[in-house]
Amino acid sequence: MSEDRTRILGMLAEGKITAEEAELLLDSLGTAASETVTATEATPSAEWPSGPSATGTPKFMYIKVTGKDTVDVKVPLGLLRAGLKLTSLIPPQAMDQISESMGEHGMSIDFNNLKPEDIEELIGSLREMEINVRSADGDHIRVFCA
Amino acid sequence: MTAYLPPLVIDVRVRKPGSKGRRLWLPLFLLWPPLLLLLLPVVVIALLVDLALLVSGARYHHYTLLVVNSLKLLAEVRGTHVDALSDDSLVKVDIY
Repeated sequence: MSEDRTRILGMLAEGKITAEEAELLLDSLGTAASETVTATEATPSAEWPSGPSATGTPKFMYIKVTGKDTVDVKVPLGLLRAGLKLTSLIPPQAMDQISESMGEHGMSIDFNNLKPEDIEELIGSLREMEINVRSADGDHIRVFCA
Repeated sequence: MTAYLPPLVIDVRVRKPGSKGRRLWLPLFLLWPPLLLLLLPVVVIALLVDLALLVSGARYHHYTLLVVNSLKLLAEVRGTHVDALSDDSLVKVDIY
């Protein structure tokens, strides 16, 4: 048994990943091996957290897409924090135009009233967020912060 | 101060089955020194504008903060990681 398979089964035994995730990882491992792309590269996110963190402030947003293709994205939440702080510094005239334009597209968010403590609270709350989308053709999209 | 350190390198790796693959290092750090030379006068002008706005009693006088926080936003891109595995290729992008 390869080292990667052992590691995936170990993670399953420890409850870090679900049986379904283990199956997906093992499948992608098999596919990758048959295509000479190494198993370690095929499961690059195997060491990433398997779900939202239970405590503390999340540091990254993880987006995992499995199915026909596999896509893993890790985005620092500091980017969101810095972006939201930047919006509070945009000149009011420009901000009004942005709000109007966003409103026209169905996103009525008033960034003028966003305070720094709100940003921290928002990011802290992301810890509890988990989005799971399963499409009819078998693709699975997971978004969570940890 | 590292909180304001912009991304230094973008590492792109592309691998196709049966091939060794390609690795591309984009040295972003080469861009920053000339841009820093441009940024310094921008910060000075923003400071002067903010000072003038403050003296004139305008409510908004945060152009300098806007410039500084834009740099912070740029710096926060560091740590981004993207992996894409399809039937015929593996693409990995890391921003350091």
